[in-house]
Amino acid sequence: MAQKGWLFLTDKTRTSQVLAWAFIIVAGVLFYLAPSSAITFLMFLASLLVLYKVPAPVTVKLPVAVVWLCVIMPLAGLQNSYYLDVVTQAGIYVALALGLNIVVGFAGLLDLGYVAFYASGAYLYAIFATTQAGNFIHAPWAHFPVSGMWFWPFLIFAAFLAALLGVLLGFPVLRLRGDYLAIVTLGFGEIIQIVLNNLDKPINITNGPQGLTPIQPPALFGYSMSHPLDFYFIVLVIIVLAITVARRLEASRIGRAWAAMREDELAARSMGVPLVKMKLMAFAIGASFAGMMGVIFAAKQTFVDPSSFSFMESIGILAMIILGGIGNVAGAVVGAVSVVVLQLQILKQLSDYLSYLATQGILNIPSQADPSEYQRMIFGLILILMCIFRSQGILPARRRLASWWERIRSEQTKKQAGESVDAAGS
Amino acid sequence: MEQLAHILPQSLLDGLILGFVYAMVALGYTMVYGVLELINFAHSEIFMVGAFAGTETMLYMQSRGYMGALPAPVALIIALIAGILVSGTLGMLIERIAYRPIRYAPRLVPFISAIGVSFFLQDFVRLVEGLWKNTFYLTAPSLFTAIITVSPELKIPVKSLIVILAAVIMMLALNLFVTRSKWGKAIRAVAQDKDTAALMSINVNSVIALTFFIGAGMGGAAGTLFAVQYSLINPYVGYLLGIKAFTAAVLGGIGNIPGAMVGGLLLGILESTGIVLISFITHGAIGIEYKDVFAFAILIIILIFKPGGILGEEVREKV
Amino acid sequence: MLLEANGVTKRFGGLMAIDRFDFNMEAGQIASIIGPNGAGKTTFFNMISGYYHADQGTIRFNGKNLTRMSPEQVAGCGISRTFQNIRLFPGLMAIENVLVGMHLHLAASLGQIVLNTGGMRREEQRAYEEAFELLRYTGLEEKGQDLAKNLSYGNQRRLELARALAVKPKLLLLDEPTAGMNPKETEEMTRFIRRLRDERNITILLIEHDMKVVMGISERITVLNYGVKIAEGTPKEIRSHSEVIAAYLGEEAV
Repeated sequence: MAQKGWLFLTDKTRTSQVLAWAFIIVAGVLFYLAPSSAITFLMFLASLLVLYKVPAPVTVKLPVAVVWLCVIMPLAGLQNSYYLDVVTQAGIYVALALGLNIVVGFAGLLDLGYVAFYASGAYLYAIFATTQAGNFIHAPWAHFPVSGMWFWPFLIFAAFLAALLGVLLGFPVLRLRGDYLAIVTLGFGEIIQIVLNNLDKPINITNGPQGLTPIQPPALFGYSMSHPLDFYFIVLVIIVLAITVARRLEASRIGRAWAAMREDELAARSMGVPLVKMKLMAFAIGASFAGMMGVIFAAKQTFVDPSSFSFMESIGILAMIILGGIGNVAGAVVGAVSVVVLQLQILKQLSDYLSYLATQGILNIPSQADPSEYQRMIFGLILILMCIFRSQGILPARRRLASWWERIRSEQTKKQAGESVDAAGS
Repeated sequence: MEQLAHILPQSLLDGLILGFVYAMVALGYTMVYGVLELINFAHSEIFMVGAFAGTETMLYMQSRGYMGALPAPVALIIALIAGILVSGTLGMLIERIAYRPIRYAPRLVPFISAIGVSFFLQDFVRLVEGLWKNTFYLTAPSLFTAIITVSPELKIPVKSLIVILAAVIMMLALNLFVTRSKWGKAIRAVAQDKDTAALMSINVNSVIALTFFIGAGMGGAAGTLFAVQYSLINPYVGYLLGIKAFTAAVLGGIGNIPGAMVGGLLLGILESTGIVLISFITHGAIGIEYKDVFAFAILIIILIFKPGGILGEEVREKV
Repeated sequence: MLLEANGVTKRFGGLMAIDRFDFNMEAGQIASIIGPNGAGKTTFFNMISGYYHADQGTIRFNGKNLTRMSPEQVAGCGISRTFQNIRLFPGLMAIENVLVGMHLHLAASLGQIVLNTGGMRREEQRAYEEAFELLRYTGLEEKGQDLAKNLSYGNQRRLELARALAVKPKLLLLDEPTAGMNPKETEEMTRFIRRLRDERNITILLIEHDMKVVMGISERITVLNYGVKIAEGTPKEIRSHSEVIAAYLGEEAV
């Protein structure tokens, strides 16, 4: 559709396209050459967004994306492990945001306890990948921690466990209206954290506030993956899968049913949409994403404790999808990367810069005002500003037509014309 | 069993005091919900700001030596006024900036905005206090130190009685205002049907602003009383308490003012004594650290089985 | 007997919305329920649709007892409807609105969707073709990719019909289908309703206020007033029924 681009870069005019591609290429090259500069890093990330939006066939954009993500980023990351870590972190949150986007954005269910599913996956793996499981499973054949090869099946186990929890949580709360549902899920999220903190007696399952460590890194036939680059690629693969699943769901009868439910629940039900089943499905699928990422998080951190799974996390992920564009798959990606980069990169830079100024005696901001401590303020501000000024997000959700729609339309119209000609002729 | 008889009276009293705090905060939730059908997530932080305002006022009076000069009840009233004014104004401000522009947006948008305000305020107060006082943990000066010892198991601090008295007075005043005064009637009208109220030449925006002021003011007063009762405050003290107060409002029937009071008291007592009983019955397996879980469980059960609350009504969707 | 309502009663608080209402319909009929505003007509529809459950009495459809069913289950029995105040899915495209109506007839499982199997793709394609057919049948073939909220009032009404048809109903409930239409549009709608019954073998139950439509199209008319059935019969019988005239025009007019 011809429309004034969001930023001139997405216009269909020649100049815009040339500029866009120029920016993409320059950013990629610069980042490769100077991987330690904050500016080139941010430009590189921006270039990926521009690549997404630029009007060009997928067959052109895809190889570029592959090179950018599988060649440039890893090579740059080898030279600057900090950025590699930022990107991997962002990646984990991208998958989480995609999952929450299914629950909140597709199905319209405000789940504020999403972090509970994340925690379930993390703790599931942590319990078995440390000696912890040995505390309550006493069997001769069981050796804990399990070997790193178990990481892969545990991804699946965690997905299923989380999905099951999602159904259990979803079932009683389904009939609740939006804001009540939010509060109840918030309650569940809080309960989970308290339970995790206190499940060290009478049987020690979670080891309470001390957490569980050290967690086995994933392994593939003897090769132990503890290098940051390993996790980068694992996360990248998962993200690609997550995006694929999300997009396929969106375009399917399930996605349409969710959209209908969101727009008018009663009318949807009258057309035969099974409300309970669809809501449970959304909960379960969203939860499974989080469960899976929990395992990856646990393996990457080699340490889990209840404090990583607070309400703050749920709100952070919510802020990501509100910022990026609620209901939009690409929006979830953009939102997650933006927030993580904002926190880990921009706030940190600001904080470093302020302390630099302090040491130079130019400005004396007390430690109380260290920007990197003020996550809540940032998240809060993001939510408020987005809700007031652009509640649809950076990349608003749009309905997409099936690829074969045009073909069907012209075929049917021709068929119709043919029939009327026949009818007229006979 | 005897052990239970020892602990129970004290926990009953604790529950009662807590219940009054919950009741006052719950009023804010219920009034705003009544006129806007919005859960004012930020109300918990309005409560917290009130606590800080009251505490800072008391600390100021203390530093100036006024505390010794004035009789304690007067100092309390001054602190309460500070809490009410600051919180009330904050409440109106929040409504104007973060809720009014999106009043007619899809339901979840103002709710998410409210969450944003809540989080923003937590860190904002932390920042302000951090810069000003170099710490964000404050201790309110003690106002009433006498303790009435009824029995070895039951010691009633005088300050608790004063807190309860203050709470009762304010809630009665609110009830009178809402049921008897012209503005109170206007509030009830807007809560029933905004558009028709507007047609009756009621300035809906003003009424909503007033509702916020009163509800927030109550929350602020509750905050000051909280500071008087429990002394130690920090910017995150509102969050958990807010959710529980909201539970209380729902328990009593959201939108229902007497319901909020009843719900608050009920929840306070239930929470305090319930967990003691459970802990006793399970021999400590589910101990007092699960207190919050107990409160949340009550919330979840009510919302699922009787969302109308005790005094509330069922509202059907018109087809 | 396709639809059978016996002694259906519904109270809202102290208000008696419907009082011991009996109603029958044979398959293939076109029938109307008329009555002044507030007479209980839409309430009855809503009870068939499963939004309200009768306090007393039963509603049977094709032998099945509908009385306690949920809206999804009612749709599953082969009943669909349109609404008095159009209830489309405004943010979805017209074709998607119709596709939602087909939900019951699509069977792709979660696994098939995630794996994008050939079977699922074929089903989707067939669904789109069928949906387009319905759009064409209701005259909306040009509007397929327009968002429902952007359609004109008349087109929105057509889309609601197309969507209801997608459910492949045996019984179609139409709640004031010609509300807000000019005489020409009303004429078109009347003919269309007849076509539905003739071409697609759908039994149709209408709530209508436009007497011309009611008299012109109904084989049987049932009159409700204050929740009570005051008359039932052919258009000719109803036209001259004194109680009906009294209900509509006031006692003095009789």
